[in-house]
Amino acid sequence: MTQSTIIFSPSPHMHTGRTTPMAMYHVLIALLPAVACALYFFGLPALGVLVTSVAACVATEWAITRFMLRRPTTVFDGSALLTGVLLALNLPSNLPLWMVAAGAVMAIGIAKMAFGGLGCNIFNPALVGRVFLLISFPVAMTTWPVPLQPDGITGPTILGLEKLDSLDPGQVEISHLLTGDIGGSMGEVSAIALIIGFIYLLATKVIKWHIPVCVVIGLVFVDLCAGWPVLVDILSGGLLLGAIFMATDYVTSPMTTKGMMVYGLAIGVITAVIRRWGAYPEGMSFAILIMNGFTPLINRYMRPSRFSPRRKEVAA
Amino acid sequence: MIKTFSKGGIHPAPNKYADRKIKLLPLPTTAYLPLSQHIGAPAEPVVERGEHVGRGQLIAVNTTYISAGLHAPISGTVKGIEPVALANGKPGMAIIISATDEEHRADTAAREAYWRAIEPGHTDRQLSESLSADVIRKAILDAGIVGLGGATFPAHVKLSTKESDKPELLIINGCECEPYLMCDDALMSHYPARIVEGVELMMKAAGVGRAVIAVEDNKPGAIAALKSHIDPAHDISIQVVKTKYPQGGEKQLVEAITGRRIPSGKLPLSVGAIVNNVATAFAIWQCIASGQPLIERVVTVTGDIPESERRNYMVAIGTPLSNLPFTPPQRANIIVGGPMMGHSAICLDAPITKGTSGLTILDAAPRRQPMACVRCGACVEACPMGLEPYLLSTYGRLHMWDEARSAGVADCMECGSCSWSCPSSRPLLEYIKIAKQRSRK
Repeated sequence: MTQSTIIFSPSPHMHTGRTTPMAMYHVLIALLPAVACALYFFGLPALGVLVTSVAACVATEWAITRFMLRRPTTVFDGSALLTGVLLALNLPSNLPLWMVAAGAVMAIGIAKMAFGGLGCNIFNPALVGRVFLLISFPVAMTTWPVPLQPDGITGPTILGLEKLDSLDPGQVEISHLLTGDIGGSMGEVSAIALIIGFIYLLATKVIKWHIPVCVVIGLVFVDLCAGWPVLVDILSGGLLLGAIFMATDYVTSPMTTKGMMVYGLAIGVITAVIRRWGAYPEGMSFAILIMNGFTPLINRYMRPSRFSPRRKEVAA
Repeated sequence: MIKTFSKGGIHPAPNKYADRKIKLLPLPTTAYLPLSQHIGAPAEPVVERGEHVGRGQLIAVNTTYISAGLHAPISGTVKGIEPVALANGKPGMAIIISATDEEHRADTAAREAYWRAIEPGHTDRQLSESLSADVIRKAILDAGIVGLGGATFPAHVKLSTKESDKPELLIINGCECEPYLMCDDALMSHYPARIVEGVELMMKAAGVGRAVIAVEDNKPGAIAALKSHIDPAHDISIQVVKTKYPQGGEKQLVEAITGRRIPSGKLPLSVGAIVNNVATAFAIWQCIASGQPLIERVVTVTGDIPESERRNYMVAIGTPLSNLPFTPPQRANIIVGGPMMGHSAICLDAPITKGTSGLTILDAAPRRQPMACVRCGACVEACPMGLEPYLLSTYGRLHMWDEARSAGVADCMECGSCSWSCPSSRPLLEYIKIAKQRSRK
C-alpha cells in the first residue's frame, strides 16, 4: 500500500463547487447575445468601444493591485472583465475611445478599488463609469448612431423623442425594439438578446427572478397609473439591460428575496419617474445607483425571518 | 404527500453508494472504551485493572441522571483505565480490554450465533404489551443506550416524560440526510420488523400514543421494508420526507412532520414531540428482546475508496478505527461521521464510539483560497434556521460576541449549509462556531 497523507479540515468537508468567478463567467456568457447584437448593429466602432473598455478595466485593476496595493492581482476573478463589458454595453458606439478609457478608470479605480475591491463597493462600478461620462460629456454620451448605417449618421432614441413630445408612442414598431434596430447604447437595443441572457442566468441559477421582474413591475405600475404606453417603456432605453445585468449585481443588491423585491420595485418606480419628470430621457442608471445606496439599509431591515414558531402557533 | 421543512436547506451530492448489506467486522483483540461517549457526565468504572470481564458485562455505570453506562464489547482482561487518544486527537479516559485468542474465538462464535438468530428472527408483537413503561426504561438505562444518530443523548432521559409534558408524538428519525452515510438505511432495510418493535417499546416507555417513522424519499427500499411490518394494532406510520439537507435536524424534522416550529433554545417536547433515531429504536429492541446491551453498532465505511470497500459493518464499540478495512487515497481526509457534520480523524488508533455512524474517506482536494464576500446571499438562502451566516461569521472574525448573540448565533446547529453554498469558499462555519462558543453567557 502506498503511503497516504492524512488531511484534516473543519466541517463541512463538501462544497457546492460553484465559485464566484464561475458566476462572473456565466454572466459574461449571458451577455454574448447582447454583445453580438451590438456588433451587428453598430459594426466596427462597437468593437473598438468594447475592447477599449475591457482592456482599460482589466489594466486599471491589475495596475492598482500590482503597484498600489502590492497584493496578488485579482483580475482573474472575472469581475473586472465583466465591468468592462457592461460599461461598453452602456455607451454609444461612437464615443471617443479616450472617453471610454476614462470611464473604465473611473469605474474600476474609484467605484471599485477605492472602496476595497470586489465585494466592498457600494455602487455598481460600470454604472458609476457611465454616469461619470454622462455628466462630463453630455453631448458625446447622447449622440446615438443609427443602427446598420455607415459611420457618422446619428439619430435620437425613442425615449429622447418622447421626452421632446415629438413621438407618438403608438407608432413605435415593437418589432424594432425586440430585435434592436433602434438607436441607443450598444447593449440595450435588442430586447430579445437581453431576455435570452436572462433565461440563461435563471437556468444556471446565477440570479433569481426577483429583481428583474420587480423592476418591470415597478415601472409598469407607474406607467399604468399615469396612463403611459407600457410595452414601449419596458422595451426601450436601458431598462432590460439594467434590470437583468446591472441591478442584479450581487455586491450592490440586497441579500434576501424580500429585500430584492423592495429594491427592484423601487428601481422600477424611480426609473419611470425620472423618464417622465426628470431632466434626462433615461432613468435606469440613476435609479440603480440610488437604490445601491439604500442596499445596506434594506439588508438591515429586510432580514430573513428566524426559525421560530409561527404567529398562529404562538396564539394557539 | 412528501413533507419537508420550510427554511433554507441544500442538496449536496448524496453519494450513497455503499453496499447496504451489513457485514460483521471481526471483533478486536483489544478494545478501548472511553468513559465519555455520550452527552452528560462520564461513566464511572466498576471494574479494576487485571479484572476479567465477559462480553456484555457492565464495566462502567452512570452516576448521575444524564449519563450512560458502558459494557464490555469483548471478553478479556482489563488492561488499564487510562487516557487514550480519541479521534479528534484529544485524550480521554478509557477502559482498555484485551482478549486472549481463546476468548476471542469464543466471543466470535457467540456473536455469529447471535446475529444468525436475529436474521430470520421471530416476531414477538406482545413484547411491548407485556412490559411496563418503568421496566422498559430501566432496561434501556441498564443497556447504556444513547441516541445513535450522532448526538448521543442518553435514551432513557428522552423517554422519561412527565405527565405535564404531554408528549403526543414519537418521531423516529430515519432521514439520514448526511451524504455518503448509509448505516440507518442498512438497518431499516435489514431489520424493519425489529425497528418497528423497538418503536412500539419506545411508545410504551414514553407513554406516547402515536409514532411516525420519517424516511427521506431516496430510500425506497427502507420505506417499503418498514411499511410491510407496520402492525395495525399500534398507531405507527411511515412518513416519506423530501431528500433535503438537513432534513434529519431535530427542529427541521419536527416541523416537517407536525408543521410546528420548536422555539429557540427549546426541546421537541415543547411542541409535544420526542425525536429518536431508528438505530436507537433497534438498540432498544435488542436490549429488551435479546438482552444484548449497546456493544455494537452499524458503521458505514465509504467515500473515495475502492468500490468493494464501500460497505456497512456491524462493529464492536471500542474497535480502533484502523481495524476498518479501506485503502485511503493519496491525500485522505478520514472523516468520522458524514462529510457535512463529521470531524476529520486525527488519530486512527482511536476507537469507534457509540456515536460513530461512519467513516467517510474523501480524496482531499486542496481547499480553495477564500475570496471576498460578494454578498450574493447564498448562505442566507441556505440557512435552515433563518440566520444570516455572512453576518455571524463577520461577528466571529471581529470578536463581536454581543452582536453575534443578538443575531441568534445560539440557534446555529452547525449543519454547514452556509459554508457548503458559499461561492467565495469563505470559512463561514468556522467563524460562526467561534462566535457561538464565545458568545455563550
